Amino acid sequence: MALAAEAFMTQLAAAEPWPENAALYQQLKDEQILLSDNASSLAVQAFLQMCNLPVRVVCRANAEYMSPSGKVPFIHVGNQVVSELGPIVQFVKAKGHSLSDGLDEVQKAEMKAYMELVNNMLLTAELYLQWCDDVTVEEVLEDVDQCCQALSQRLGTQPYFFNKQCKGLTFQYRRLVPKIRPTELDALVFGHLFTILTTQLTSDELSEKVKNYSNLIAFCRRIEQQYFEGHDKDSSSSATSRSAKRSLLR
Amino acid sequence: MAAPMELSCWGGGWGLPSVHPESLTVMAYAKFSGAPLTVNAINNCWRAPKGEVPILISEDTVISQPAKILNFLRKQKYNADYELSAKQGADTLAYIALLEEKLLPALLHTFWVEAENYCSVTKPWFASRIPFPLSLYLPGKMSREALNRILLTRGGPPLYSLTEVEAQIYRDAKECLNLLSKRLGTSQFFFGNRPSTLDAFVFGFLAPLYKVCFPRVQLQEHLKQLPNLCRFCDDILSCYFRLAVSGHSPAGQDTVDANLQKLTQLVNKESNLIEKIRLSLFLCRWTTTFVRVLSIPLES
Repeated sequence: MALAAEAFMTQLAAAEPWPENAALYQQLKDEQILLSDNASSLAVQAFLQMCNLPVRVVCRANAEYMSPSGKVPFIHVGNQVVSELGPIVQFVKAKGHSLSDGLDEVQKAEMKAYMELVNNMLLTAELYLQWCDDVTVEEVLEDVDQCCQALSQRLGTQPYFFNKQCKGLTFQYRRLVPKIRPTELDALVFGHLFTILTTQLTSDELSEKVKNYSNLIAFCRRIEQQYFEGHDKDSSSSATSRSAKRSLLR
Repeated sequence: MAAPMELSCWGGGWGLPSVHPESLTVMAYAKFSGAPLTVNAINNCWRAPKGEVPILISEDTVISQPAKILNFLRKQKYNADYELSAKQGADTLAYIALLEEKLLPALLHTFWVEAENYCSVTKPWFASRIPFPLSLYLPGKMSREALNRILLTRGGPPLYSLTEVEAQIYRDAKECLNLLSKRLGTSQFFFGNRPSTLDAFVFGFLAPLYKVCFPRVQLQEHLKQLPNLCRFCDDILSCYFRLAVSGHSPAGQDTVDANLQKLTQLVNKESNLIEKIRLSLFLCRWTTTFVRVLSIPLES
């Protein structure tokens, strides 16, 4: 039943181009949103920016209840509502925009594997730190360290995780779109790492683990500068204004 | 480094050294890294394992969970990954996460939740290796734990019914198998010519799916359409476990099957007998109460 509905939605999605008034809904920034939800929201925002699809961020206290799956963030595009990164990537792909089309089959497999790693370890760690607070935090931190080490080794000295070259340059928002394009894995990793680095928690252990890897910090900084600074598309505060007080650029 | 190491795990069948994915992963890694393990298959004597199977016991140290056991073996200098680069090590971690998130739920479902498979294959097999009376309770408990794990990780909204969850997890598992097949390509192992941790995990998860004969086989059929993964499992079985590959079942296999059938009948007979005793006790009690109740007005 759910699979038929999905196929139907894909057909609907393909019919219309991306509108100008697309909106992304999340909870209220300073009082309400949780660490893991903030990371997920940032990942989706980064992904849409990388696809050059304009979206404004709208903060609502009842965002979770409006979402079709109960999870945030969700996007409202035309007359369709889609939530969570996975379905949003599929939805955007049906509209003809994809970041991973240039990858070969083996690279696509690798990308999916790394996305599962991030979901498995970083998301779990964020959820754990939000809700639990006992002795097994050491195990959680060790998992995060292992995950960051893997991501750091995979990234190496490259700008993105997969560096497939695309043809041509276009002007968008008064800057050149780079020839090497990021993928949804970059968006997901950015969402989680940026949130961990810039959110103040009761203890700094989680962000300290991430800070051990300088290439990951450079990666976050690069994506922040390229896709989030200088963009004033949304009426409410921009994605990274909250963290402007705790900028990465220390 | 010569402290003796003993591995307690579930035993074999259908041409496999073990039918339990985690146990098989550890056994495969031990073979790849040359670690001298004494393997003790759990049988129906009363020495029950102390924790989650598989368990490694070395002198006074007791370790469970495959990842921790493999870490311990690496610290003892039995390392199958020393030739891997940093990137390949990172890839290993990522692919293991993929296996656990996308393939494991469907594997658990095939073994423990799918009713026909569970009743005709999994339950009799495990019950025959657990001492009575635990054999009447433990397989059911393992089945419930498997279902809980599936629902906990995959059963969130908008998938509210079990059928929708089932459709989703099998779809994910088939996609995962396709991804693994593409990644393996025509190589012998996932990283070059020597097997490593990733090969142990993939073998541990795939081989039971490949070899165990279930009545409901949708995932197995899909796996059999990916010849490089089947060849991968067969190669490891013949090179590292010296077991005959499918096509020739050795005489030993027939005896095992015959024994299994006898044990299945025995377990079924036992449960029938116990049911009958329970029923007759209940009837006796009920009849006594009924008679007492009826006789009260007569006495007064």
